[in-house]
Amino acid sequence: MKNRIKEFRAKYDLTQEDLARKVGVRRETIIYLEQNKYNPSLNLAHDIAKALKTTIDELFDFRD
Amino acid sequence: MKNDKFRLIIIAILTITVLAIAVLYTFESIIMKEKNLGALIPFLIPVIIVVFMVFFIKRRYKDVKEGMPMEDERSKKVITQAAAKSFYFSLYWLLAISWFEPFFARVLFGGEKLDAGQTVGGGIAGMAIFFFIFWLYYDKKGKLI
Repeated sequence: MKNRIKEFRAKYDLTQEDLARKVGVRRETIIYLEQNKYNPSLNLAHDIAKALKTTIDELFDFRD
Repeated sequence: MKNDKFRLIIIAILTITVLAIAVLYTFESIIMKEKNLGALIPFLIPVIIVVFMVFFIKRRYKDVKEGMPMEDERSKKVITQAAAKSFYFSLYWLLAISWFEPFFARVLFGGEKLDAGQTVGGGIAGMAIFFFIFWLYYDKKGKLI
């Protein structure tokens, strides 16, 4: 599943560490998410969307 | 965060305890002069556990120091999937031990048959090795379900 986390993170000038701390996960999880190697749980997807001031639909591409 | 630091300290203490037991066991084995490869199997299990723990603590310590969680949903999934796969593979490993028992008995212990302790020890060592390999695989590259 593709996502636009990196794009939104850059928009708000957040580092991977900042985002990881905001949503309460390890930095590796953000790295793997941005590389599309990990599909998050609905809770985590919601938390990331909230931290990046967007919606899950905007952030994740469910077409795959 | 305080809880994570406490957990990390407990893991470190357990690792040191396992290492101390392994050293004592080896010392005892040397005194008993067990001159076969099989005598190393009970030593191999703690060594694998210690190597895994040192690797694990080193990686987690930095995160905990920086105020990040020691565990999250991905790391829990990695451990769950590595454990599931290692259990599955260890079933085949146990089958291999029973099928090739004369070979293992001759090569490792210089005997004809394995006793229960040797078989169980070999099975646990195999499981620990599989777990370590799968943990590394899923943590680095594996696509998680």
